[in-house]
Amino acid sequence: MGKMNKTVGLIKKSAMLGIVTALTFSLAACGGSSSKSATNSNSPVKIIVTNSKGEIDAQFKQAAKDFMKVNPKINVEVDTQAVGDTLGVYDKLTASGKTVTLAMFDPYAALHKYKDVGIDLSNDKWNAETNDALKNSDGKVIGFPFAVEGMGLVYNQKVLDKAVGGTFDPYSINTQDKLKDLLNKIKASGVKYPVAYQTEAWSVGNHYSSLFLDQESDPNTILDKLKSGSLDLTQNAAWNGYYDTLNLLTSKDYNKFGDRPLGQYYDAAHVAVGKGDSAILFNGDWAFDSLHAIAGDTFGFMPVPVDNNPDNALNNKIAVGPTQVFVINKKATKAEQAAAKKFLNWLVYDKTGQDFVVNKGQIISAFKNNPNKVNNPLGIAISNAIAKGATMPFSTNYINAGDWPTTIGPDVQKYIAKQESRAQLAKVFEDYYKSHQE
Amino acid sequence: MKNRKKSLANWGNSFLFLGPTTIFFAITVLIPFVYGVYLTLNKMDTPTDPMVFSGLLNYVNAVQDTQFWSSLWLTIKFVIATVFLVNLVGFGLAYLVTSGIKIQNSMRTAYFTPNLIGGLLLGYIWQFVFVQTLPAFGEKFGIEWLKLGWLGDPHMSFWALVLVTIWQTSGYMMIIFIAGLISIPKDLIEAATIDGAGPFRRLVSVTLPLMVPSFVVTIFLSLKNAFMVYDLNFSLTKGGPYNSTEMVSMHVVNKAFVQANYGTGQAEAIILFIIVAVVTGIQVYSSKKMEVEA
Repeated sequence: MGKMNKTVGLIKKSAMLGIVTALTFSLAACGGSSSKSATNSNSPVKIIVTNSKGEIDAQFKQAAKDFMKVNPKINVEVDTQAVGDTLGVYDKLTASGKTVTLAMFDPYAALHKYKDVGIDLSNDKWNAETNDALKNSDGKVIGFPFAVEGMGLVYNQKVLDKAVGGTFDPYSINTQDKLKDLLNKIKASGVKYPVAYQTEAWSVGNHYSSLFLDQESDPNTILDKLKSGSLDLTQNAAWNGYYDTLNLLTSKDYNKFGDRPLGQYYDAAHVAVGKGDSAILFNGDWAFDSLHAIAGDTFGFMPVPVDNNPDNALNNKIAVGPTQVFVINKKATKAEQAAAKKFLNWLVYDKTGQDFVVNKGQIISAFKNNPNKVNNPLGIAISNAIAKGATMPFSTNYINAGDWPTTIGPDVQKYIAKQESRAQLAKVFEDYYKSHQE
Repeated sequence: MKNRKKSLANWGNSFLFLGPTTIFFAITVLIPFVYGVYLTLNKMDTPTDPMVFSGLLNYVNAVQDTQFWSSLWLTIKFVIATVFLVNLVGFGLAYLVTSGIKIQNSMRTAYFTPNLIGGLLLGYIWQFVFVQTLPAFGEKFGIEWLKLGWLGDPHMSFWALVLVTIWQTSGYMMIIFIAGLISIPKDLIEAATIDGAGPFRRLVSVTLPLMVPSFVVTIFLSLKNAFMVYDLNFSLTKGGPYNSTEMVSMHVVNKAFVQANYGTGQAEAIILFIIVAVVTGIQVYSSKKMEVEA
């Protein structure tokens, strides 16, 4: 009996031991990350950098290695947001008790959700080299512009050259009538459907339907009016103009998908324009890879015309602006902040850093001193537009890009599918801003 | 010796075997669930926001969210369509591959294979079929209703989802039905045949009543799958066109993470849990009663 008791006791003990071990491990996992390692002046400073651009994960990690080679005292950990992940990598790391030193945000998030994260970067040297630094409502620079992007009507140069009989100039299309005329010319040159626009919710919503904010040089002017309820969109010429043009772009006469404009046509639309079966779609420079273009073919952007006044700025400019900015976390230690600033300067001034951003990452740099050009013809078109001064603010930065694909976007789709009238759509916009005052 | 055996079976021993499972079940299911209920009582925009106690506000918002109820109604239609069709097709296939035709083993494999492809991947494959292949077919053979991509029309998108679900899950249900079919005693079928029952009468009066246990399982599984559908919804239609195929799971995810309304999304998830628990509970309870013994 005694021996048996011993065995049972042993079993009990081992069971308890197992439980205790399991609990200890899980507790250790929770506690370990929150305890700060003692800072030692000789030990390297570790900074955590988040990267929201999943497509350049490998290049970014390589850049961190290159940076560490010349700055052996700094250890850079890059955490990349998985493409399509709904929970931001910054939120995840913060929730697990880590302090992200240098966070990549989209400008809207940096100014709203994360408005209290960043430190003032107004006195940093790199401000002299860019016009796209992100300022908060107090006018302080809080965001380092990492990537610049732009959107407009993407066109296939070869098809348009043939249609107009010569070299097509995108800025020659500065009225709605000229656009319509161009579409007819393309049809006459043998292209059955000049437009292949996929009209996905995020595209017709976030991108196309925010363009009207640019009718004032500061898009916030229009936003303030919308929020105060003093803007009647049905009477707003620019807003109506964009939907007149959208009617044209999605009509049965011109759009490849005009008979049933909604559907999952992203790939089909881009390949059609890339191969030259169609000529025009609406998207940004990021669309280039989806075009599956034949090497050497040229593509560019033309503005979206909203009326028949050739002098209207909206008819002559494409929307360009920073789409990812870096913010330095005020919760990071002074040493970590200094290391993060060093990394940002490295991106702007160091040859390897410049090479990483533009040549390796294929990102359009926001900095004038960066001599490199991307390979992407659409990116080159953006750079040219910047050089020409033919840009207006990237209007998507002024809307909540997070919820538009499920709030405004579907309603614009309903408008395209003729399930909703222009007046109803205007009301959706107005109601949205009445309930989203931030 | 008897006493010793008894003392071996005391709680310590059972804890040794059940303990780890219980702990991991608690860590991965029970605790998150209880914590999840607690979260609904707080106002949070994202999962990482500081919690502010707000009572039942999230539930009030959830109940007032008309989109939630319309997506739930759509999901119920989806549930009815798929539960009926998946089981019908699954049973039909099982009946076919147990009827003694020559290549029945390779057919079993073939019908089961779609189940091995993940829902997300399946969605993208079928997206290609609905957007490119079928319209190309329609164009080539002049079939008017096939010419346009399916996913641009609310009704056709819905049926596209149903179709792919049937294609994916009926093979799995077939396996369960096969197990049920081959365990029906042969003598019963023979007796019925001798009594003069034709093939249809045998199916209705002998086979089907004995298959109720299988149906309990398959209907439960297809009910649950249909209520919780997300991956296929996401990859095939993304809820489009204009949110017309946004099923309730997708609405909850969008509410919580895309529209940054975590508390309300979580409350809607709890409501959904209760609905699914009640529906499947009633189903299992009532169909258990229909079981007969041979």
